[in-house]
Amino acid sequence: MTARRVLLTGVSGPLGARVAAALAADPGVEHVIGIDTRRPPGVLADRITFVEADLRGDELASILKVAAPQVVVHHDIVQFPEPGRSVRTLHDLNVIGTLQLLAACGELPGLRALVVRGSASIYGSQPDAPAFFTEDLARGVTLHTRFQRDVGELERLVEAFARRHPAVACTVLRLQPVIGATVDTPIMRLFRSAAVPTFLGYDPRLQFLLDDDAVGAVAAAVAVPVRGAVNVAGDGTVSLARTLRRLGKRSLPIAAPLYGTTVAALARAGVLPALNDDVVRYLRNGRGVDTTRMRRDLRFVPTHTTAEAIDAVAQAVRNEPAGAAA
Amino acid sequence: MIGPFGLVRDLGRALDGAGRRLRGDYEEDEWGYDPSFAAAAEPLLSFLYDRWWRVTATGTEHVPRDGRALLVANHAGVLPWDAAMMATALRRAGITRDPRFLVLDWAFELPWVSVAIRRNGGVPASPYNALRLLEQDHLVMVFPEGAKGVGKPWSERYRLQRFGRGGFVELALRTGAPIIPCAIVGSEEIYPKLGEIPGVAKLLGAPYMPITPTFPLLGPFGAIPLPSRWRIAFGAPMDLTSLGAEAAEDRATVLEVAEDVRSRIQAMVYDNLIERQGAFL
Repeated sequence: MTARRVLLTGVSGPLGARVAAALAADPGVEHVIGIDTRRPPGVLADRITFVEADLRGDELASILKVAAPQVVVHHDIVQFPEPGRSVRTLHDLNVIGTLQLLAACGELPGLRALVVRGSASIYGSQPDAPAFFTEDLARGVTLHTRFQRDVGELERLVEAFARRHPAVACTVLRLQPVIGATVDTPIMRLFRSAAVPTFLGYDPRLQFLLDDDAVGAVAAAVAVPVRGAVNVAGDGTVSLARTLRRLGKRSLPIAAPLYGTTVAALARAGVLPALNDDVVRYLRNGRGVDTTRMRRDLRFVPTHTTAEAIDAVAQAVRNEPAGAAA
Repeated sequence: MIGPFGLVRDLGRALDGAGRRLRGDYEEDEWGYDPSFAAAAEPLLSFLYDRWWRVTATGTEHVPRDGRALLVANHAGVLPWDAAMMATALRRAGITRDPRFLVLDWAFELPWVSVAIRRNGGVPASPYNALRLLEQDHLVMVFPEGAKGVGKPWSERYRLQRFGRGGFVELALRTGAPIIPCAIVGSEEIYPKLGEIPGVAKLLGAPYMPITPTFPLLGPFGAIPLPSRWRIAFGAPMDLTSLGAEAAEDRATVLEVAEDVRSRIQAMVYDNLIERQGAFL
């Protein structure tokens, strides 16, 4: 493919910065333009063009017009609060941010592809769910959590955009929870804490994606634009019990009716990280996704299976100094 | 193995196994099937098979040694003991593959039970799961009567209920898997349902809440199945490949094949009821 200009949102986030670096190093990419409200890490700033802007701001459309990208990567989808992204702004960023971005994208005649970082959370976590969700099954699920509704709405916006702009290949990557030494999510904080609260009598099947592979999947989607949603996950599933044993973590079993209040109290006491609804449901019922489309259409194969990703995290967490725990 | 050396060796093996388990160093496939857990359940299942239910199995030669196949059986009892006994019968016949069975979704909401079922090869009853299992060339057991089969009263025992919408036939047609009709006799007597406790089932989200001779009288001990005498018969495989995969879209064909399978199993059930003679002794 010819050299292209790629515009990336959420470039200063922990994974966004790595995606930007991967794209900047890609010979198929001529130029990377990054947008964020936060400053990007210094090393990265030299290799990309950084524009400090809010997706919800008025200036977005003019920035996009000047940048004139062939590919837009919407990576500024936030599931958990992080530095510079408070819990209150999450919904606003995910939905209104996407809405504004898509409106601006609609006025770019040269745009060929749109890659959106979605989430496998759209499928939720249910005890009677199919063991492996295929992409077409997202329609049938009941939306229970706030983030699930956010990604549901976001995907509808992208679908509507794709219908009105058939020349643009729109990809939504539905990533399973990303783990890795460089990520700071509630799940990773749990894996770094002294014990992991589990539901007494339940042992869900979990599926993860290593951070390197999350970056690789976005880069693959920029290289090979695919239309529609694509699940992205490490191969296979691992039960929570086996995950904790491989990590060398203790489990703290709590009876289901007391789980919410106990975990919230422990979080207030500073013993455990705060958990959102998606994580709590994931720890109870788990989830698996089918990755046939990822291999066949996106032509992407993660370097680590779910079990290997857990082992990589286990090694990294063990080597961290004890004080590093958040 | 009895004797000091045998005991020491067994203990050593058990400790070694426990150590590996604690480090998380054990196998588990993408469905959550855990061979070492299943192996640990083996003595209990053997006891139930030989002593408790005194199972007689016939026709195991009809079950393929490799490749996909759909075992279709009549269903009774809310816990999948019938699937466990079918699996034990196959193991006894020297079929070393690990069969998977579809279990009523509801059982997957129960603490502990859901985990034990899954580690033994149980999967929530969803056509997506069955399709994937068959495409992976597994041996899959299905019980198309579903909740209607397990919740029927004592007076209706061994009368096969409607086979739903024939979803299992669609699966066989789509994947080219042969259907092996299976009849299980004895499973209807393990929890004889005398009546139902109204309201409670709705409260717990259960398909039904039975009154049996031991439940709710004995509380959790009511879950101990009665020691009826069992027979399990595996019938000749039905190859549907001549109908073609497109036939899965044809309602009439699907329902016709489903009814054919149902009547074969019903006939096998009656034959085995006569063969068995006494239900308990």
